[in-house]
Amino acid sequence: MALMPKRVKYRKQMRGKMKGNATRGNFVAFGEYGLQTLETSWITGRQIEAGRIAATHFLHREGKVHIRIFPHHSYTSKPLEVRMGKGKAEVEGWVARVKPGNILYEIGGVPEEIARAALARVAYKMPVKCRFVTRRHSLG
Amino acid sequence: MADRMKLEGQLRTAVGTSSSAKLRKLGQTPAVMYGHKKESISFSINGHELTKGLHHGHRLYDIVFDGKAETLLVKDIQYDHLGKNIVHADFVRVNLAEKVTVTVDLEFKGTAQGTHEGGMVENHTSKIEIECKVSEIPESIPVLIKEIGVGDALHAGEVELPAGMTLVSDPETLILTCHILAVAKSSEELEEELPAGPEVITEKAREEEE
Repeated sequence: MALMPKRVKYRKQMRGKMKGNATRGNFVAFGEYGLQTLETSWITGRQIEAGRIAATHFLHREGKVHIRIFPHHSYTSKPLEVRMGKGKAEVEGWVARVKPGNILYEIGGVPEEIARAALARVAYKMPVKCRFVTRRHSLG
Repeated sequence: MADRMKLEGQLRTAVGTSSSAKLRKLGQTPAVMYGHKKESISFSINGHELTKGLHHGHRLYDIVFDGKAETLLVKDIQYDHLGKNIVHADFVRVNLAEKVTVTVDLEFKGTAQGTHEGGMVENHTSKIEIECKVSEIPESIPVLIKEIGVGDALHAGEVELPAGMTLVSDPETLILTCHILAVAKSSEELEEELPAGPEVITEKAREEEE
């Protein structure tokens, strides 16, 4: 089942612009290893779910997978063979909008080699270029 | 790591976004130092050397300005959006004898007993705040987790700290737990539970008005 919000104020939304880089959600916060996007894109709820399944299937119930993105944004599309106009079409699905630097998934409780292999499989499901990242050192 | 790394620093007169960007292009990292009730001073250091030092676990730096060295402790590091390059560094003036509060990584040693019983160790946090002498800041604190069984939890108060260090974090802070994993619901099961679409708040209000 693709992810989607439980309650929304308005069903249909404008597409919006996605300029710049991620300033939040751009470091590993929950697990030990993460998958970071290097591109700006819409990631659909189905793609997020496919990534989750790929990771959990590879990990055989070991470790913990954290999904750091959520499809808050709806998109619409007109059915086939329909003339233009007559108002905005119906909602087709829900997407997460990601910018370069956003962490998509995190994995904890497994060795690095296993996390690397699992996140490589997740990266195949993503519509963006990704890289493997680890938790930062602590300072301060 | 108590070792101090020596770095050459250049004082900055021009501050701000554009001058900092120019410095970064030259391989320098803009930085600032403050503390000990003296005025804050902007300077720059070699970015590559700083990154190397941080990778080796150095927190204390002897930064030389015109032949005069100043002992500084790394307070904060700002990274770019990808977390690859250091954009700015904050240093605080310290005496080697004074006590400071620092965040230190925990290094988990051994395999938890619970993992042999079908459990999974879940890390809630891997760092704690401690107070210690500047010269005795550890790179990490080893924590033995061999005796943790299924259903057990480790709190910050239970971590054995080296002599001369006191815990600053809340002793009740949960560090790790060991538990049996619940079977994840399949996509089909989730599909049955969830409604087909989200509830629209404004539509509900409009219906009530009508």
